[in-house]
This record gives sequence, structure tokens and C-alpha cells, in this order.
Amino acid sequence: MDLNALITAITQILSTQALLMLVIGTSLGIFVGAIPGLTGAMLIALTLPLTFYMLPFNAVVLLVSMYVGAISGGLITATLMRMPGTPAAIMTTFDGYPMARSGRPGRALGLGITASFVGGLIAWVVLLTITQPLSILATRFGPFEYFTLIMMAMVLIASVSEGSLSKGLISGLLGMLISMPGVDPATGMPRLTFDWYMLNGGLQLLPVLIGTFAVSQIIADALDVGRVTERSEVNSRGVLMSLQDFKRHGVNMIRSSVIGTWIGILPGIGASIGSVVAYTTAKNVSSKPEEFGKGSEEGIIASEAANNATVGGALIPLIAMGIPGSVIDAILIGALTIHSIQPGPTLFLTNADIVWGIIATCLLANILMWMMMTSSVRHIAKLIYLPRSYVLPIVMVFCVIGSYALNNTMFDIWVMLGFGVVGFLLERAKIPLGPFVIGFVLAPLAEEKLRSGLMMTAGDITPIFTRPFSLTFTIAAVALLCWPLISDWRRRRRVQ
Amino acid sequence: MSSDVERRPVAEIGVCTLVVAACLVVLWQASSLPPGTFEPLGSAPVPQATACIVILCCLVVIFSAARWMRKQDINGDPGITLKQHVHREFSGRSPYGALVMLFSTVVYTALLHSRLIPFGVLTFMFLLLVIWALNDFRRQAVIPASITALVFGFGTQLVFTRIFVIDLPV
Repeated sequence: MDLNALITAITQILSTQALLMLVIGTSLGIFVGAIPGLTGAMLIALTLPLTFYMLPFNAVVLLVSMYVGAISGGLITATLMRMPGTPAAIMTTFDGYPMARSGRPGRALGLGITASFVGGLIAWVVLLTITQPLSILATRFGPFEYFTLIMMAMVLIASVSEGSLSKGLISGLLGMLISMPGVDPATGMPRLTFDWYMLNGGLQLLPVLIGTFAVSQIIADALDVGRVTERSEVNSRGVLMSLQDFKRHGVNMIRSSVIGTWIGILPGIGASIGSVVAYTTAKNVSSKPEEFGKGSEEGIIASEAANNATVGGALIPLIAMGIPGSVIDAILIGALTIHSIQPGPTLFLTNADIVWGIIATCLLANILMWMMMTSSVRHIAKLIYLPRSYVLPIVMVFCVIGSYALNNTMFDIWVMLGFGVVGFLLERAKIPLGPFVIGFVLAPLAEEKLRSGLMMTAGDITPIFTRPFSLTFTIAAVALLCWPLISDWRRRRRVQ
Repeated sequence: MSSDVERRPVAEIGVCTLVVAACLVVLWQASSLPPGTFEPLGSAPVPQATACIVILCCLVVIFSAARWMRKQDINGDPGITLKQHVHREFSGRSPYGALVMLFSTVVYTALLHSRLIPFGVLTFMFLLLVIWALNDFRRQAVIPASITALVFGFGTQLVFTRIFVIDLPV
């Protein structure tokens, strides 16, 4: 751990421009997180084109602070409207809303804000301590290790995604398939282009991302644009937690943060699963499990500590191995690539300033998020009542501009619209969108590693089973693939 | 609300059928790719293998959805028609809102593509029309919609060309 580099990065962020990015990023993240229907992934995908002309360091500060802000902002709508501002805040609705309805909205928000802050801090400590050793380990990986690691990540994402394993696999593999048209990097020949020259360069990440996450969400939200929500007034009483509160909830806060961090590290899983696992664990060990779902303080703390902890956790595989820990991390990988930075284990050597910038931003954005939310939650809460009939068309205009800005071609806007419809249809069929985007980002890397590995061994595939790391990843992938089938079979046998 | 539906068999079958069709097209295209010369694998096997697994998974989902529908017919709602299924799975409180949003965006993009109308003017018109339509063409919504469209239509042009210096589709 290089403390000097960390201090340098913090000092650099506290300089004028980067500090401005930090403040804008965190506040925009909180605002977007607080507006129902808008998500952090949407915000970051739409902001990406604006970073083209920024210094890479400032761009990273802006995007990571948005990530932290958006995950935290989701708790406001979850608490006041029983509508999670971001998917990560689903579990917060169970206890936040009943507590707000019982006349304690300030207390509910205060618990959530502080738990988010503590979760973020604990994850940051883990991010700081294990990322560099993990990246040193990852430098030993050859092409077969990387290929099997990506396959394991894809199976893991598919198996824990919302819905069935088959749907998760369809989504992930479809994303992989979508990334394949274009000039084959190994042979230099066009592949799956249907003799259409526009496809020679392949489908770009940004229009696909904006279409899949933003446009599909806009269409889905427009379906329910007339929905009327109950209003809750917010007062600031109880927003700050007392020392006694910390004593009472400290263990739960730390346990949930550790769960969130660990789940964040697992590739592609993200904040929603982290908060579900932490919430369930808190309920199982609680002395008052009957209060969960009726305004339990423990429930709010478990959910919020865990979902914010996943942010730091998910950044670990991104920095150490170039594997996204969540959907937003997949977008961050795209952002780094756009700025000519290759994510992966050598990032510490080639772009150490960027790595330490990410780590420092994670800390500073958490502190700023806590300060902003505790001081102005009453005002931020008013954002949730913005009429969607006004917000959605404006966001659509930003989607059009964002897609066009990458290459200045109208083709990208059509691609964005096409993937908006694809994303909407997949979502209607309850096929999760997360694996789709992660598959799209990881497929070129997986194919490149497999093919370069086979070139090294003259077509011999046995190193996958003879090298210890690749064998471990393969066994883990097979186990993850078989486990849902086995547990389903056992459940059916028990029922019979 | 449609999103509350526990399972959406018609959507699952429909979407998976479309995915299978797309994968068959990929398989057909990949079959014409030449084998590798400098490297053992070549361009075709990875997309072919991926498409095959996707088709397999889609068949599992289609089969499971069909079985679920059949079970529902036997145990639950025997009278429910396909049309009702589609309505329940695809529409929310404002189905026309989504259609207005989608089709006006397609028209907006086509007009941008044609480069006939300047970006600011076109965006103003798009925002005014869609906001008003999403408010059920209520007369009270005209003024706030006009102000929003004016601010964001011309405001975005100003911000993106003067501050962020991004090329706009004009």
C-alpha cells in the first residue's frame, strides 16, 4: 500500500478542477438517485461523452463520485415513496417507508445516510488494502487463466441475477454475441457484418449502453407515467445518529458492510444482491425479527450499509483484474478505454495516478455524500416529486446527444434506439439487463485471450485443466452452473 | 401494474423466439466465415458456440413458460385469452405514453438525420409535443411544457456547443 501516492491523489482531487468534479459528481449522483426512474448507470452512461475532452484523472473523479452519490441517493425515494430510486435500495423500502409513514422520516433517512457512509468507509479500507496485492497476483495470469476467469464471472453473474439461470445466461451470452460483429482483430477480416460497412467498426459501447439502460428505462417509465405517489413530509429531526445509536447498531453496520464489500468483489453481482443478503442475515440474527418489514432500524441499516459497501468492493476486481464488479463498473471500464487507459493488473504500473485517483475519490465522495445528505436531505427530498412527464423527454434528448457525441454519426443514435427496444423487451420478459452489458464488455477480452492461448499452444486446450488457477476457475464455473439445477432437483424431491 | 406480474409467459416466449431467430441468422452468417490460417480457431467457432448455447437456453425458457401457461389454464384462469395475456404483460397505466415517447423519438431522430431543421428548434418541438402528450394534451400543461421545451431545447444547444464543445446532430 503506497500511502504517499494516496495522499498525492487526495491533494490532487482537492485542487480546483478535480474538486469541482467531485462536488458535481456526488451531488448529481444523489439527485439522480433520488429521482425515481433515473439510475446511476443511466447518469454515468450519459455523462461519458462529456468526459471526452477532460483530463482522464478529472473524468475518473467525476464518474466515481457519481457512482457513490447515485447508490446513496436511492434511499430517499425508497424511504419516502416506497419506490427505490435505484435498484440497490429495494430492501430499504421494506423498513424505510413504514418508519417514514409512522411519522419518523428524518430518523429513517438519518439511519440510512449514516449506514451508507459507514458501509462506504469499510469497503474503502478493503479497497485500499487488497487491490494492489490482488493485482500483483493477477499479473501471473496467462491467457487461459483470464479466459476461465471471465467464463466463471459470466456464470456467476447469470446464476445470481434476477430470474432463472437460463435467463441470466441468455442475457450474458446475447451481450457477448452483440459484441462480435466487426473486423476480427486476429484475422483482420470482417465478421458478422452482413456486408454492411457501418458494422465494420462493430457496435460501440456507448450507444449500446445508453440504449439498454437509459432508453429502455424511459420507455418502461413512460408506461407508468400517470402513476400517483403518496407524499411524505420530511423534517430533519433524527437525521444525525447519536453515540448510543452507534453502540446499538455498530455490529449490524460492520457485518452488513463486510457482506456488501465481499459481494461487491464477486464479479458482476452489484449492490442489489449485496443489500438482499445483508438484510436477510440481519433478520436471521436479530432478536426482533418480527419488526423487519414494519419499520425496523436494523433493516434500514443492513440494506444501506451493504449497498454502499458494494461500490468499493466492486472497484477491486475492476482495478486489479479489469473485470467489472457491477454494471456501473462495466461502464467505467468503457470510460477508461475511451481515455486510452487499459484496465487490468498492470494499471498500477502504467496509470498509477488513475488508480489512486479512483481510490481517493471513493473516500472523498463518501465523506461529501454524508455531509451533503445530512445537511440538505429536506431539500433533496423535494426532487422526488418532479413530474416524470417532464423528466423523461428531457433525458431522452440527453440520450440522443450522448450517443451522437462519440463518433458524430447518426448510425449510433439508431443503434441506441434499437437497443432501447431490445432492453425494453428483455426487461418485459424478465431477462436481466446487467449480464447483457457485462457480456458485451467482457466478450472481446475473453475471445482474445482464448485465441491467443490457443496460438501459444498450437490449438491444445489442455492447459485449461492443467494450470492451477484456470482449473480452479473452471471447477468454480461448473459448480456455479450445476448448483441451481441440483438445488432445484433436491427441492422437487423434498416436495414429492 | 404490469411489472407486478409474477411471470410473463407470453413475453418470455415471444422474446426468446426473436432471440432464437437472431441466433439462427448469426449461425448462417458465421457458417460462411473461412477457417483460421495463422491461428487454430478462426473467426467462426466463438460466435457459433455462443449462438448455440443461447438457442439452447431460449428453448429451456420457452418450454418452461409454455408449461407454466398450461398449468395456469388448468388450475387458475382457464378463460384468459392470448390478447389478455399480452395486455397484462406489456402495458402499464399509460400504454400510449410509451408509444408516444418511442415513436416521437424515432421521428425526432429521422428529422435530425435529414438535417432539415436546426437542432434547437427541433428539440424544442420534440419536448413540447412529448411533454404535452404525456400530460394527456391537457390545456393547463401547455405553458409549463412550452417553458420547459424552450429552456431545454435551446439551453442544451447553448450548453453543449459553448461550454462542452460537443458536436450536435445538426
